[in-house]
Amino acid sequence: MTDAPNKLTVVGLRKLTPMQRRLVSVLIHVALLGASVLMLYPLLWMLAASFRPENEIFTSASIIPSAWSLDAYFRGWNGLRTSFGTFFTNSFIISILSVCGNVMACSMAAFAFARLQFRGKNFWFALMLMTLMLPYQVTLIPQYVLFRQLGWVNTFLPLVVPKFLAADGFFIFLMVQFFRGLPKELDEAAQMDGCSPWRIYWKIVLPLSMPVLATAAIFTFIWTWDDFFGPLIYLSEMRTYTVMLGLRTFTDSTGMSDYGGLFAMSVLSLVPIFLFFLFFQRLLIEGIATTGMKR
Amino acid sequence: MTARSLESGAPARERAAPSLWARIWQNDAPGYLFLLPWLIGFLGLTVGPMVTSLYLSFTHFDLLTAPRWTGVDNYMRMFTNDPKFWASMRVTMFFVIFSVPLKLAFALGVAMLLNRGIRGLPLYRALFYLPSLLGASVAIAILWRQIFAGDGLVNKFLSIFGIVGPSWISNPNYSLWTLIVLSIWQFGSPMIIFLAGLRQIPQDMYEAASLDGASKWRQFVKITLPLLTPVVFFNAIIQTIEAFKSFTPAFIISGGTGNPINSTLFYTLYLYQEAFGFFRMGYASALAWVLLALVGLFTAFSFLTSKYWVHYDD
Repeated sequence: MTDAPNKLTVVGLRKLTPMQRRLVSVLIHVALLGASVLMLYPLLWMLAASFRPENEIFTSASIIPSAWSLDAYFRGWNGLRTSFGTFFTNSFIISILSVCGNVMACSMAAFAFARLQFRGKNFWFALMLMTLMLPYQVTLIPQYVLFRQLGWVNTFLPLVVPKFLAADGFFIFLMVQFFRGLPKELDEAAQMDGCSPWRIYWKIVLPLSMPVLATAAIFTFIWTWDDFFGPLIYLSEMRTYTVMLGLRTFTDSTGMSDYGGLFAMSVLSLVPIFLFFLFFQRLLIEGIATTGMKR
Repeated sequence: MTARSLESGAPARERAAPSLWARIWQNDAPGYLFLLPWLIGFLGLTVGPMVTSLYLSFTHFDLLTAPRWTGVDNYMRMFTNDPKFWASMRVTMFFVIFSVPLKLAFALGVAMLLNRGIRGLPLYRALFYLPSLLGASVAIAILWRQIFAGDGLVNKFLSIFGIVGPSWISNPNYSLWTLIVLSIWQFGSPMIIFLAGLRQIPQDMYEAASLDGASKWRQFVKITLPLLTPVVFFNAIIQTIEAFKSFTPAFIISGGTGNPINSTLFYTLYLYQEAFGFFRMGYASALAWVLLALVGLFTAFSFLTSKYWVHYDD
């Protein structure tokens, strides 16, 4: 593992002197560092803009404010009729319920597909894979009509209930891949001892699958947190707004005059995602690398 | 269940029926019980709505009164008498055709630089991945709108070199490009998949090629690219479908209008306007089915042509 990349370097640069080799390596680092700075500069600038005095936002391109203040955060927090505290609470409730629903329902379906034998299994699995390619617009309008008739508009139910019905087949697929990798002998031995499928699922498969369950939980949280379209359609009363809807309303109304407050709330809205990135980076990157995730 | 079939069964079937039921119960029931939440969702939230949506696409439906059958009127109007439909189609196609290849090229280029066994790989990988993770957020779209505004960050940098940049967001010639740049900015996740793919290529192939005097470019064209085609294929499909579905950035940056002059009127945005702005639910359903046909055609085409350019080991 460790010597493979070195070999490549030696092969690639074999005609170069040590001096030139070092130069190439320095150039690569300069290019990569430059690219990183260029990519992250806008994020740092927004962070700085949220802390600097309002009159400096449009005059300064630097990422270090001349003076630090938390004013924009207080202004932004109460910038709309309803406080951002409500929006954050709503977003957390929806995201956490979504995580519970997705992990439970998807792992159950994945267990059936990966570890159980039943008639029609391949048929249903093929259909499940096809839903991965389906643009959500095709089911959007009848779903909206259905949820409206159930009286679910302006509640969190249209956003959360589909998660308890494993509507995102992507996570089923992810878990099937993982469950298939667990040794078959475990189930067989448990079955010999008279374990029911439910006990095998609950006591053997789930405890061994913590990495994939955590990956699914984190991505569900981030994607639900980020979701704009669902809340845009189903939530129209401000007390039910998520953070993303709050930000959008901010840009429509006071945002044009209070960029500091807008940026401060934007920064706050990214904090939960950034924390996941900070603490679970390896899990996220490995999840993408091994399964080829979309985002 | 077993008891009932025992009682009611004819003498000849008396023995077969219970064992059949018992067998079904034992063999199939656990699978279907575990599958139950998904099955309910699949039938109730996917299949049912799809059928309904297809029906609605042949009707006039405003949500308040019952749908009225209008035959193929919606589709006729779309293709013959709706400039906004064609505008949104052009915008979406332009976005897909430019953003996907550029994003993949970037992802592959950086992945190859990172794959040279450089120091600090985990750090670089994390830094390049961060925008992918944050990028779907409304906050980033808001930031983008500021960066490319007339007095935004980009023009401040350009002014250092004495260049007076336009207002990128409100100029119809550039507004779509700001969204393409936003998409390319999120090259991190395909890059990670490329990196994983590059790791799979046996290093002795390069050694052999290098001993035979093959140039770096030839090694790339003859070894790296062919062995990487399954990963390229995978990334291209995923990114294209994502690009077709893109909605939030265009909505936020144009304030939901798709302006200036419909230059950021993504297909998904137009569909949203028709459905939830004008409550033309029948017409919006027809738009959705055309989108499905488009994505389906693209996917089928990719899979059919893949055998000519994607190399699988087995």
